Amino acid sequence: MAQPQPGTPAAMEALYPFLYASSSDLPAVLAQVRESTVAKTLEIAQLRQVICEREAERLAACAEAAAARFAAGGRLLAFGNGGSATDAQQLATLFLNPGPATRPLPAYALGSDTSVVTALCNDIGVEVVFARQIAAFGTSDDIAVGLSTSGNSENLVRAFEEASRRGMLTVGLAGYEGGKMAELDSIDYLFVAPSASVHRIQEAQTTIYQVLWELTSGALAWLEGQRA
Amino acid sequence: MTDRAEAVRLLESRAAPSAALADQAGAIADTCHAMAVRFHQGGKLIVFGTGGPSTDAQHVAVEFVHPVIVGKRALPAISLTTDIATVTGTAERDGISEIFAHQIRYLAAPADMALGISSDGNSPSVLGGLAAARAGGLLTIALTGGDGGQIAASRAAEHVLLAPSPDPRIVKELQVTLYHVLWELVHVFFEQPGVLAPGVVA
Repeated sequence: MAQPQPGTPAAMEALYPFLYASSSDLPAVLAQVRESTVAKTLEIAQLRQVICEREAERLAACAEAAAARFAAGGRLLAFGNGGSATDAQQLATLFLNPGPATRPLPAYALGSDTSVVTALCNDIGVEVVFARQIAAFGTSDDIAVGLSTSGNSENLVRAFEEASRRGMLTVGLAGYEGGKMAELDSIDYLFVAPSASVHRIQEAQTTIYQVLWELTSGALAWLEGQRA
Repeated sequence: MTDRAEAVRLLESRAAPSAALADQAGAIADTCHAMAVRFHQGGKLIVFGTGGPSTDAQHVAVEFVHPVIVGKRALPAISLTTDIATVTGTAERDGISEIFAHQIRYLAAPADMALGISSDGNSPSVLGGLAAARAGGLLTIALTGGDGGQIAASRAAEHVLLAPSPDPRIVKELQVTLYHVLWELVHVFFEQPGVLAPGVVA
């Protein structure tokens, strides 16, 4: 086989084939990406169906328990790391600022205070973030909701232990098979999104906590209607 | 009284809009390609939204900067929702429609991408951010819901991806899938660098 003459365009192409890849590959890559998108939407739809079959009853029960806490003057504290920290914030704003048709309820996300979070990380360690905040804020009327995709975050495990010790209602969201969170006695209601994809787990968890919010709001309205 | 039937009804209400998301596959693929070209040129992703979508903006940023799949490269992305001093300062001085536009004018470069997230497509601050981004030469992308609102009607962004539901909670769930897919499939184009030259079109 003839070697390309050094320094010639042919030699350059042999060294850096990607620079010369044909733009005609684009339609094939776009087709691959479209197929992959459709496959992912099917995957999440199936996961939601599994959760519906497994968890509908316990979601309703959990919502009633949460409504009872709110009716008693309790607040909801939500926590998670990374993407789950943003879900905790979404959950908090869903309760606190749900829009005109629904009653606002007291809730906040423990990850939002960067001063407290970084102080605890710097002075002690990431494992006490959330547990320390719950020790400072949590009362027996309150609700603790912790979100993790792996179910293994040490700071969630410690937070649930602290919350349970204080008599809070504890709700966990996990993925895979639940991880360490599935082994804890400190979680009253654990909802597992049974998937190996972090992305599909987060999408299903979004549905779980938003449905839980809607059911809780409904249960609270019913409870207060009974008392009126 | 909260019963199982109500939980089932709510969970099953996700099925139809979720299936309709597949109709966006072509638009998603085109958006991923445009984003991959910008990242390849050194652009960064700038994400913004108000209310619930502000948490999505932060989620998108962490998704790109700290990938969940080992071996995927970290890509530059920032959320405009975390600098609470600038957000509240701008809102008080110039009005809510300026909170993202101001940051884009001073933080963005022309090679960057602006991704605005709005549940109903009518957020004045997201519209303001997209307009400032277009004026600055950024690639503009919007994630909206419902009928797309003003963002879709005014063609405020070059790429508009729609979560087809009137319920803002369902829109949120579909948008999480949308941006997860955008993140994952942008990387497919990096495996085919021949398709990343500017001007390569299908």
